[in-house]
This record gives sequence, structure tokens and C-alpha cells, in this order.
Amino acid sequence: MSHISNPRRTREAMTRASLVLLSGVLLALPMQAFDPDAWNAEQPEQPGVIVVRGATIWTAADDVSPEDAVLENADLLIRAGVIEAIGQNLQVPSDAVEIDGTGKHVTPGLIDAHSHTAASGGLNEGSNNVTSEVRVADVLNPEDVNLYRQLAGGLTIANVLHGSANAIGGQNAVIKLRWGLEADGLLMQEAPQGIKFALGENPKRSNFRAPEPRYPTTRQGVEKSIREAFEAAIDYRDAHQAHNRALKMGKKNLVPPQRDFQLEALVEIMDGTRLVHAHSYRADEILMLMEVAEDYGFTVATFQHVLEGYKVADELAASGSGASSFSDWWAYKYEVIDAIPHNGAIMWDRDVLVSFNSDSGELARRLNLEAAKAVRWGGVPEVEALKFVTLNPAKQLQIDKWVGSLEPGKHGDFVIWSGHPLSTYSRVEQTWVDGRKYFDRQTDLEARETIAAERQALLQEVRDSGDERAEDAEDTEPDPEDVDRIVDSYHGHPHQESGR
Amino acid sequence: MNLDKTKLMHLRSHLVSKTSHRSSHKPVFSTLAMLMILLSPWTLVAQDGPIVALVGATVHTVSGDDIGNGTVLVQDGRIIAVGAGIETPDGAEVVDLSGKHLYPGFVLSASALGLTEIGAVRATNDLGEIGDNNADVRAEVAFNADSLLLPETMAGGVLTAHVSMNGGTITGTTAVMRLHGWNWQDMTISTPAGMRLDFPSVSTAGDDEEDAESSSEAIEQLDELIENAEHYAKAKAAGTVDHDPKMEGLLPLLEGEVPLYLFAYNKAQIEKALDWTAEKGLDNLVLFTGQDARYVAERLATENIPVVLTGILSLPWRAWEGYDTPFTTPSVLHEAGVRFAISDSASSFGAMNSRNLPFHAAQAAAFGLPKEIALRSVTLSPAEILGVADHIGSIDVGKEATFFVSNGDPLEIRTSIERVWVQGQEVDLKNRHQYRLYDKYNNRPRPAATSE
Repeated sequence: MSHISNPRRTREAMTRASLVLLSGVLLALPMQAFDPDAWNAEQPEQPGVIVVRGATIWTAADDVSPEDAVLENADLLIRAGVIEAIGQNLQVPSDAVEIDGTGKHVTPGLIDAHSHTAASGGLNEGSNNVTSEVRVADVLNPEDVNLYRQLAGGLTIANVLHGSANAIGGQNAVIKLRWGLEADGLLMQEAPQGIKFALGENPKRSNFRAPEPRYPTTRQGVEKSIREAFEAAIDYRDAHQAHNRALKMGKKNLVPPQRDFQLEALVEIMDGTRLVHAHSYRADEILMLMEVAEDYGFTVATFQHVLEGYKVADELAASGSGASSFSDWWAYKYEVIDAIPHNGAIMWDRDVLVSFNSDSGELARRLNLEAAKAVRWGGVPEVEALKFVTLNPAKQLQIDKWVGSLEPGKHGDFVIWSGHPLSTYSRVEQTWVDGRKYFDRQTDLEARETIAAERQALLQEVRDSGDERAEDAEDTEPDPEDVDRIVDSYHGHPHQESGR
Repeated sequence: MNLDKTKLMHLRSHLVSKTSHRSSHKPVFSTLAMLMILLSPWTLVAQDGPIVALVGATVHTVSGDDIGNGTVLVQDGRIIAVGAGIETPDGAEVVDLSGKHLYPGFVLSASALGLTEIGAVRATNDLGEIGDNNADVRAEVAFNADSLLLPETMAGGVLTAHVSMNGGTITGTTAVMRLHGWNWQDMTISTPAGMRLDFPSVSTAGDDEEDAESSSEAIEQLDELIENAEHYAKAKAAGTVDHDPKMEGLLPLLEGEVPLYLFAYNKAQIEKALDWTAEKGLDNLVLFTGQDARYVAERLATENIPVVLTGILSLPWRAWEGYDTPFTTPSVLHEAGVRFAISDSASSFGAMNSRNLPFHAAQAAAFGLPKEIALRSVTLSPAEILGVADHIGSIDVGKEATFFVSNGDPLEIRTSIERVWVQGQEVDLKNRHQYRLYDKYNNRPRPAATSE
């Protein structure tokens, strides 16, 4: 780490610096590029009617003929935040917001089925191998600037998951990237609850030195851990059901069984009301978990990463489980030595519901280009490849009734691109969520000068104050959070704790 | 024979100029060049190996204009003619590339390829040696010619990689490697390409005293190391010192014979590192850096320091920076007049996806870098910066026949790389780990349709 300062120390130092120095001026500095106080700003207005005119519209809808999948010179009409129509020469009231889409492409907002964005603090409750009681929703940080950066890449929804240290991890949060709202405002209320599972090297702690040895250390032990947890959950459910029956029968003075949040979540899985998102790589462990799920009466909603999914594509398709994969990552640990970039294409060809995810605050800004890799490796048609990052993850998260494609009745979540959405040369121009414009590149660019000027003015104020530490305010040390990522990327340690 | 005479003249003069440059690691080649001066083109062609004629492609030379329906003649691993309307010599093997595009292989200018297989499996990594000064360690001797990663990288059109280690402050000498060959010796294009120095982290505002202390201590140690090497040189000349390989390793660097490959990332570190090299008189250098290069662009241009820029596909390092900061850094450098190449990082983690190199450049093009500069930044520019432009980097007479055929713009992900040649040898793109797995499981018998 010779070229980057110690990130942990830097963070501590920066924290101290921001507390002691500069009397809060530093805290008042603009924190991102388009609005200094955006994280607690009012949300963007929702125009009554919006129409995008004359664009190339990729609906990502299922069951449409190839010629209707990409509509040339078409209009998209949103009313009160909901898509009303897609067609030509759509009639709108005179006060409608009109957007000239000439030469532009429009797609649904992109959906990331595996994210850790906005999840602050530890992503793993690593003290136990089963931690179904902890919740991402409790630690959502709406000030995470990556929310804005990902909006700038066309992302509108993320499945925020715990890490993969535990065979049974914590409860997820499906969020809409409503940058500026408080944590609760990010939650997508319509989304079913879910939970993270993890198989293979991470729960068996192969690649890190754990402070204490912990069961399990083999894939066989991982299976055993999961089965034991469900057996306990069955006893728990039975005890509660017996208690409830007894109450109904009018029995008095009963002591109810103790409530257990850990087991309660597992009961919800067996009841089908909590979706399992299982970090997995190898074919053997994928088959194992499908068998376990069958034994306990549920279907795994998604196998995450699932880099050997192509080896068991038929089994995945038959089980009804979705596959949410990296497009082309491999060889960073032993269990991914057989990962191939054709994974998505082979699974898609064999009728598995496939999505591509990011698992990375950075990659989540370019999911459209991840989708393009399904075209490159295995020749998935472009329209179908786009669904890997729109409709398919929506189906996997069971939110496709509301989002994932541009169809009447769905949320007004859409992206305006400068060109073909799968082209490396295209940029996002605007990103809309619920018919509200959360990102506009033009506005962003225009605001930069104002913000730079404001920043300089604040710095000047500090200098004028005569504080000898004024130069500190000009500090250009990287954001400590990002230093972690930089160091990772330079030193070959992927975010093992967060999930890869 | 109908070889273009002017092309051959060009070839001759090119080869002559080559003999005076880096001839040491290609003695056979210099002999060949001498022969060419003596012999007429006719006999020359007759006495050398068979000619392969690639015809019909749009040839993207990178060094000059694109050539529609072009012909490229290859002999003995080298390009002997490039142009439109060149007749195919009798007996040449003709490769019809009509409708296709021919590009020079991409050059990855910072890489751990061949030195790592699986980052998380320690036994597969030969990336960092122990100790502060590893000047006597050379990267290429552990370059695994049969690494599974190499064919996958070539399948993306990336055909050359500059590899370096990362242990200590002076991490060792680096090498430019072909990704196809029989062993590290015949895969080496250039060694030592440079001496890698990972500049110590630099204390900045907000660091506590402990950090500041360790940072200045590290720089003092580096000063001391250079001072010791200077003393060693004097003592050696005076014959008053025993051979010390680690000190010995530093001498070519101090004498400017081997360029300094300076790795420094954030603004404060880059500035301190540049001040330091100026102070030490180390002016034969290349800066390997990241997005903060934008803040020192003018200085890099003024001091004519070439840059290998990594981390285009990264997050901005500071919350207040524009969301596209890493994407626009290449165009900032370009506009300032800095010579630069675009690369992935030299990390073990980056090695597995080296094939995505062109898309780093494409991202820069999406955010303002002219497309032709983006292409150049992963072909000819890195070859120039790494001192191997006489071998690779463009499709020109005299260079190695190291190129690929695509069905379109290779900076677009949807484009396919269809065929690859390294030093005149075609590489079988199906003979690789990932394709074998694809082929096996794509042909797995499908389950019988279940009856209703």
C-alpha cells in the first residue's frame, strides 16, 4: 500500500479533522456535483404529464414481436408518475412537459439485482453463521453519493444485500434511487421482502483469516448449517401454531413461545413470503441448495453470481429459480476458475430467467454495458440482453408488476440515452424515477461552475479566518470510503467481505 | 514478384534504423537487416519464409489513415507490406478478410498477467518480493506462458502486456510480453522495459502525526537508498566495494539507461514524486497513475512526462468531484497535450478481465476523448511510451504481425474479435479454457420434453 495512505487511519483522521477543524465549514462544502444539499433537498417535482417525443424506445416488454420491441420515432407519455401510453403523435395537455427525443434512445430504468450501495457500516454480521434477524433497511444511508452517481448511469432500482460471510445472512432492502429523500423514502414499498444466503468459499471462510475458527469450513457444513436452521424454524413455527390453536380452543393462562426474529424470517421463507437471494458459484452448491429448498417447500428466488449456472442451466430452469450473474468476472478465487462470459447466454438459451448485476458501486453505473456483453459472448439478441438489466431483475425481485419495462400502468422510471443503449459511446442524458427527474446531465454540467465557485468562496472564508490549518480545507486526499475500493482494485483483494 | 518497391525501400530503411536501437535482444533480427541491405528485394523474398497475404479488410493502421480493401503481407513474423492495390506474391498463402476490419493488437500497459493466476490463491501469485529494494528482480522470469488468462485476454484482441511486480518500493524491472509463445524467453519483447518505483504515500491534510511521520520516513529511506547506490557506483569505480546485486540493479536507473516507471496516484503523491524525481535528476520516466493526473496535467505536458493512465472505470475519489471525473481525465490530458496510454491496473484482480481494455478507452471516448485518440491510447501510444513502437502498436512495415480481425469497431462491446495473429502466428481462439467449457455445456443434451 505504498502509494495510498492507510485508509482506516485516513478515515479516522478525516473524521477528527471535520469535527475539530474549520468550525463546520468543511461540512458545509458541496458534497457532490449538482446540488450541495441534495441529500436532504426536496424531491424533484412530478409534472402532471410528461411526453418524450420522437425517440427510439426500447420497451423491454415481453411477448412483443421483434419489430415492436424497439419503436422508432415514438412517444412516451407519463401521467402522474405512471406510464400511460407509448405510441406516435400522442395527445397531451398544453401544460405537459415536452422532451425532444429526436436522435435519443429511451429505455426503462435499469435495475441492479445485487448491490451494496447505501448500506452503511459492516455488511456482514460475521459473529454467527446464521443471521437472518439483521436488516439492511436499518442501516440505509441516503447520503451515499453513489446513489447519485448510479442515477447518472441510468440505474433506478437496487437490491441492497448483506455480504456473503454467512450461510444465512440478513434481510435485504429493495430501493428506488430517490436521491434526496430520507432512508425510508428510498425503500420500494411494493417490493417483497428478501434475504441473503451464501454458499462456498465465503461462508466457509476460505480466503480470510477469521479471528475465531467458525463452523462450517466445508461446503458440506454449509448445507448442514442451512438445514439445521430450517429444522429449528419448523419447531419454532410448530410451537407458535400449537400455541395459537390452543388459544383458539379457549385455553387460559398459556405461556406463549418466545419470539425469535431469526427463526421468524426463516418461517417466512418457508411460507413463500421472503425471497432467498443466494450467493453461489459452483454447480454442486447450486444443486445442493435447490434440493434443500425443495425439502423445505420453497423456491430460491435468485442464485446470485451463479457463475457455474451454465453447467446446471436445465436444472435452474426446471426449478424456476432466477440467475443473477456477473457478466464476465472470473479467476479471482478458486471457485470461479470455471466462470465463463457465456454464462448468461447459455442460461438464457435454456430458459433460465437471467439478469446481470454489479455488486459494485462503480459497475452499477454501467449496467447497460454489462448487458452488451451478453451480445458479445453468446449472441443474445440486443432486446433480450437489455432485459438482463431491466425486466428480468424486476421479475426476480417480483416487482415486474410495477417496473422493469415501459408499459402502460408501470412506474415512470426511464432513461434517456444519447445513443444506442448498448453502445460504449452512449451517455445517459436524463434519469427519471416515478415521473420525477433525478438526473439531468445538462443540469449537472451547468451546476459545476456554480458549485466550484461556491466551494472556492467557502475555502476563502476559511483562509480569511486566519486559521493556520486553512490549507487543510484544500485537501485533495481521496474520499476515505473510495480509498478502500481503490486499494482493493490495486492490490487484488476484491470485496470479499461484501460478497464476491 | 510484384512487391511494391517503395514499400521494400521503406522496410530497408526502417530495419537499418532499428539495428542501432535495442538491437541487443534481437541479434537475429539485426543480421536479417544486414542481409537485406546486401540483397536485392527479389532474392530476399525468395530466401525467407513463406508469405501470408491478408487481403480485403479495412486496415486500421492507427499510425496513418485507414486503408479500404487493403492488403497486408506478412513474412517471418513481420509485416513486409501494407497498402491498397498491392499484388499478392506468387505462392503466398491468401487470407480473405473481405468485409472485416484489421487492427493492431491492443497493448495493455500495466498488467499482472502471467504473474498471477488466481488472486485469492497465494501459491499462484508471483507478484511481490520481500524487501524495499528489489531492483535486482526481473518480472518476466516467472511469466507463465500457459496461464489460462492469456488466451482469454487474446480473445479480446489484447495481444501484448507490460508486466511488473509490486513488492517493496523499488519493485523490480518490468517487461513487455507477447501473450502467445512457447516460453517467457521467446515471449519477451523488451526487458528491462523500466524500473518500477511505487512512490511512498504522501502525508496530506487530515493525516495524523503518525501518518505524516511514516510518510516522510519512507521518503527519507528512498533518498537514502538512492544515495547509497550513488556511493556504491563511486566505490565500484574505485574498486573498493564487493558486488551487491541490489545496488547493482539500481545503477542503470541512475545512469538513465533504464527508465523510471513511477507509480503514484493521488495529487499530493504525484506532485511530491515529480519533485523528487526532478531533484534526483531522474528525467527518463513514465508516470503510472490514475484520475488525479487531471490536476497535474499542465505540469505533465510542460515537463513532457508520458503517462499510463489506469482506473478510467473507477468511482471519483472525492464526493465533491463530478460523477464522470475518471471518465473525463483522458480528455483533460489530451487537451493539455500530455502523451498518455490507457490501461487497466496492474493488480492481480485486474488480470482476469484484461480483455476489457478497449472498453476503458471507449468510456473515455463517450466522455469527450476523440475516438481515434481513444484507439491510439490502447495501441500505438502505449507501444511508444513503453519503448516498443518499433515492434508493435500499429500496422506498419517492419513491425511484428501482431493484429486481430473484427467485424466492426473493437471499442464497441457488441463487436466480435474473430481472428488473432501474434508475430505472424495465428492463434486458435477456440483452444482456450473458457471456450472449451462453453462448447461442452452449450452442447449438453437438453432434457427430453416432458409429456403433458
